[in-house]
Amino acid sequence: MSAHIFTTRLKCLLRDRQTIFWTLMFPLILGTFFNLSLSNLNKSETFQPIDIAVINDAGYQQNNDFKSVLENISTGSDQLFNLTAASKQDADKLLNDGKIKGYITVGADIGMTVNDSGLSQNIIKSFLDSYQKTSSVTKSIITQDPSSLQKGLLDDLKSQKEYTLEVSGNSAAPNTVLNYFYSLIAMACLYGGFFGMKEVTDIQANISQRAARVNIAPVHKLKMFLVSMSASLLVHFIELLILLAYLRFGFNVDFGAKTGYVLLTTFVGSVIGISFGAFVSALVPKGEGIKVAIMLAVSMTGSFLAGMMYQDIKYIVAQNVPVLSYLNPVNLLTDAFYSLYYYDTFTRYALNMGILSAFILVFCTVSYLIIRRQKYASI
Amino acid sequence: MPVFKLYMKVIKKNLPSMMIYVVVFLGMAMLFAANSSKSQPKSFSPQKTNVAFISEESSPLIDGFKQELSKNANYVNIPDETEKLQDALFFRNVTLIIRIPNGFTKSFMSGGDVQIQKTVVPNSVSNAYVDISINQYLNAARLYVKNIKGITQEDLVARLKTDLAVDTPVSLQNMQADTENDFTKNYFNYLSYALFSVLILGISVIMLTFNEKDLSRRNFCSPVSASRVNLQFILANLVFTFSCWVIMVGVGIIIGMGNSLNGNLAFFLLNSIIFTLCASSVSFLIGNLLKNRRAISAVCNVVTLGPCFISGVFVPQELLSDTVLKIASFTPTYWYVKANNQIASMTNISTSNLQQIFYYFLIEFGFALAFFAVSLAIGKKKRMSSN
Repeated sequence: MSAHIFTTRLKCLLRDRQTIFWTLMFPLILGTFFNLSLSNLNKSETFQPIDIAVINDAGYQQNNDFKSVLENISTGSDQLFNLTAASKQDADKLLNDGKIKGYITVGADIGMTVNDSGLSQNIIKSFLDSYQKTSSVTKSIITQDPSSLQKGLLDDLKSQKEYTLEVSGNSAAPNTVLNYFYSLIAMACLYGGFFGMKEVTDIQANISQRAARVNIAPVHKLKMFLVSMSASLLVHFIELLILLAYLRFGFNVDFGAKTGYVLLTTFVGSVIGISFGAFVSALVPKGEGIKVAIMLAVSMTGSFLAGMMYQDIKYIVAQNVPVLSYLNPVNLLTDAFYSLYYYDTFTRYALNMGILSAFILVFCTVSYLIIRRQKYASI
Repeated sequence: MPVFKLYMKVIKKNLPSMMIYVVVFLGMAMLFAANSSKSQPKSFSPQKTNVAFISEESSPLIDGFKQELSKNANYVNIPDETEKLQDALFFRNVTLIIRIPNGFTKSFMSGGDVQIQKTVVPNSVSNAYVDISINQYLNAARLYVKNIKGITQEDLVARLKTDLAVDTPVSLQNMQADTENDFTKNYFNYLSYALFSVLILGISVIMLTFNEKDLSRRNFCSPVSASRVNLQFILANLVFTFSCWVIMVGVGIIIGMGNSLNGNLAFFLLNSIIFTLCASSVSFLIGNLLKNRRAISAVCNVVTLGPCFISGVFVPQELLSDTVLKIASFTPTYWYVKANNQIASMTNISTSNLQQIFYYFLIEFGFALAFFAVSLAIGKKKRMSSN
């Protein structure tokens, strides 16, 4: 009997194209768009040698020190600049066409010309400042102790030391784009609410005709409900797996090495989505429109607060209203994926999963208490 | 004009739900535009990166160093806990974490080999930027320590402070457009999402009503020629489109950009109205194709979100890859955004500027015509089959 209910229910769910679109196709499409538009976002942060020009006049040619320093820093594997030597006229043209970020003039003083005030321009300035600072330090040391020249000040000057040592915080790179994908999966989990909603609608005989038919059958209601629910869970979980696989293998979205836990999180996500839908549907007795509206409002607001539209929001919420980030199931799921990827420890992951389980428990209990033992004398 | 009147009646009936769409999308456009408009300084100003500075010891040298570095860095206070620091780095609250190990000063003053630990977003620009300053300061300090024997920390810091007070003169050639244009540009860019959604939702609801089998059969019985029906319908569509445009652009002008009435705004308006025509004919096409009311929101989401993502509405065009932009150039949104960006960056109205902008307008207009023609053809075919 269970098998019969299960397969019938499965057919029922798969034939509802509307729900399949929102729970499977929509996240896939959105994921594709995310990938198309965000794939370059990390690159924009990456340092690329800055295109600059230097005015190639007598002043520059005579200032050998500066010339060699500038040329030195514009070659090699860790070069800071892409240097072009040009006449003033050409440099102006290059600057106005946006081909270079700025150009350097070497006269009595060293100066620079730019069109804009950004990080690249500031790096050029820092470099020039740095060069001039070094010479001012040298001068001041020589005034203080003229003998320092003989004692190898110039050699010291040449041996510039690297004073920073890069230590990586942990094994995973802080790749901002990932949060968008994690929150997208979390949103898809919550969209499972459409299934949960359907299940409750299709078991209450005063709400849908299908439920009226099903209620006539001599099967215990709880059994009917649980079997139908597991059909929903199966469909939704498979949809989520498709989404995961699509993101992981199609777009190379990194989930870290803890694959088993990622799958577990996805499963819990599916359960919370479906139980959330059931909860809403049971609380709001009539009106499909209102149910859908509540579901969408909660999942969209949740996604927004979890950083799906603008990822800084997640951090802002966590900093200022931490309670909100623990009450938002979308954020909890997003954060669970994030902790799996980014932390070496499991504390935060466990906390997220614990709260999610509590939510599931509440949703299921309340839904059960509402829909149990309803009898219909007449419909 | 019975068809025109009927159209207006249908709108009136659906007015509450349409107003909700308008208000929601208007709110979103406002929010996005306000959020993404960064104020750009009009003069050259030092850029500061957010840095978490953690020192395991304190000494005059470190204080001096910290002060010097503050020329290029904003210090953000973050508790020294691994998880909090990692979070801050991931969400770019800071782009660099500097940690000065215990015993740094002592070892440095005696000429020892020491290093500052930094945790960074790998290969990032801000990393390169702060690196220059750190190395600069400590290398200069090393010169002093090595060459002037027995220099005290206080003396060293004071000397460095005067020595390092060098400022390279920067001249600006011509600064790009200002903040107000930035808001206007963003608002108009987001409008392509908001207005497009409202038009698709509105027009397709109306067309579905008209295309109901019984209703359309009844209408064909009437002694009004098909071309007249069509003409009135299109006219009504244009009126609806234009009202939506007036509301959404009007509110935007009143609320957000009241003080930026310059020549550029006229071009923004022209651009948006051409794009609106285009959106209207796309909506007309969708309305002709759809059969099911419940599919409207699905189609609307895909058709509006898609182009916005790949054409530079949500993510600026400069950050999109060439392939994506090539795909995007098959949508009118791409050209609309391109025109907007061009208009925003226009500091003077010159022939070469205008030529470019009008070229974009022409392409958008071409899209509008093409969609319109296709939907007319499909509409006709549909009429034939339903007869």
